[in-house]
Amino acid sequence: MQAWPARSAERMRVAAISILSGYWRTWVGAGAVLLALAAWQGVVVAGLVPSMLVPPPTDVWGAFIDILRHGYRDTTLAEDIGATVGRALAGFGLATLFGVPFGVWMGVDQRVASSFGWIVQFMRPLPPLSFLVLLILWLGLGEASKIALLTITAFPIVVSASQAAVRGVPALWIAAARSLGASPGQVFSRVVLPASLPMIFTGLSIALAATFSTVVAAELLAANDGLGWMVLSASKFLRNDVIMVGIILLGLIGMVLSRLLLFLDSRVVHWRGRT
Amino acid sequence: MKSRRLWLFTLTSVAFLLVVWTAVTAIGAVNPLFLPGPGLLASSFVDLTLHGYKGYSLPEHIGISLMRVALGFGTGTAVGTIIGLGMGMVPLLDAFVAPFVEFLRPLPQLAYLVLLIVWFGIGETSKIVLLFLTALPVAAIAARDGVRSVPRERVLAARALGATPMQIFIHVVFPSALPEIFIGARLAVGIVYATLIAAEIIAGSDGIGWLVFDAGRFLRSDYVFVGVLLIGLMGLGIDRALSALERRIVHWAGR
Repeated sequence: MQAWPARSAERMRVAAISILSGYWRTWVGAGAVLLALAAWQGVVVAGLVPSMLVPPPTDVWGAFIDILRHGYRDTTLAEDIGATVGRALAGFGLATLFGVPFGVWMGVDQRVASSFGWIVQFMRPLPPLSFLVLLILWLGLGEASKIALLTITAFPIVVSASQAAVRGVPALWIAAARSLGASPGQVFSRVVLPASLPMIFTGLSIALAATFSTVVAAELLAANDGLGWMVLSASKFLRNDVIMVGIILLGLIGMVLSRLLLFLDSRVVHWRGRT
Repeated sequence: MKSRRLWLFTLTSVAFLLVVWTAVTAIGAVNPLFLPGPGLLASSFVDLTLHGYKGYSLPEHIGISLMRVALGFGTGTAVGTIIGLGMGMVPLLDAFVAPFVEFLRPLPQLAYLVLLIVWFGIGETSKIVLLFLTALPVAAIAARDGVRSVPRERVLAARALGATPMQIFIHVVFPSALPEIFIGARLAVGIVYATLIAAEIIAGSDGIGWLVFDAGRFLRSDYVFVGVLLIGLMGLGIDRALSALERRIVHWAGR
């Protein structure tokens, strides 16, 4: 866990720190955040940067309380958070629903992989937002084009991960199960699926992060609610405190989402790394 | 024999899609506004190459975008790698910096673009800073994990042979971490590229992402299609270039 302390003094320091229980990292981290906030407040109060451009933490907190109580331009904060997270989860959910079975099918059957693999491989490196223009042309400015965009963002990632996961199952295991008399259905449900789920989950967490990035971009372009919209709208009125509130909330939601998936991961594929 | 048969599946699938696309657009079953046919795309591509788009030639649009990627990715990866190496070697520094890196990494990049535009204006600076901030946490985490995964025996062996901490770093830790740093760099360049296209769409006046968006506003869907195809090819090119570089520099990876 810790790197090789070079000198004995450093070794003693590391030992002392580890004695302060496994939580020392959290304390140092919290201290660093507090220090940064204090420095930020200090720099602005001292007048080194205009508070108009860089609102101090106290102003940001004030704006947060204000939005929490009165909402932002006819939308409550809960509505905006709900809109952003809801869109991201809708696109991610659809991509998972269709992408995992499709990817697994591609992994099991080489012919399917050869027929459709090139489409997925072409779509995967394409920046999702470049589709948005086409999707708006096809589906209009409403919710449909955004959900479709997010589905397209996550789908190739989910498909490739699922395909690679199934492909990575050791052939020996399948042969062993088959020689012990397992039917193809049993081989799939007892060997292939459990062995590939950890990697499928890794793909899902990457897909969720990409979806969350894209939803904000889409809301900056075409939306009437959501945190991305709130940030853009605030920038038009030079409400930098509101922008900061939006950015911090988005960062925290992103952290919560990735932690949540990590938690699910440890619950669902608890056998990860122990196969 | 078997691989040739699989190759045929790909060919059939590509051919099938091309035929359907050509047929559907040729008989006018769909409005060319929504789906331009292959012929229209080809002529639009020639048109774009010859006449450019709104004041810039096509290579200029592509060049502007690539230059932004190179600047933002280069600076962000360099600084991020240095920070990450430090984090990997000094646990205290890691604990100190980790909250910021972990906050920045899942944060949607476009969210802070708005703030950067307010601070730096709508020109180049805000875009380069955006890409810098995009690449930085990805590179930092890759470098940190690279240092952490250096086998302890290697470090101990070097020290037992009398290497100074600096020598250990230069000859043992850094080369061992380099493959992982490169994996991080490839990940970062993909994210930086996607972010740039988004940034050009939201707040650009040139570049290939802006071209697609602007063409969409004027309902030139043929240009949109050509642009999207070019964006895909450019992304593929960037990734290939970086992986060729990776094979040259860390030729020992995986061995």
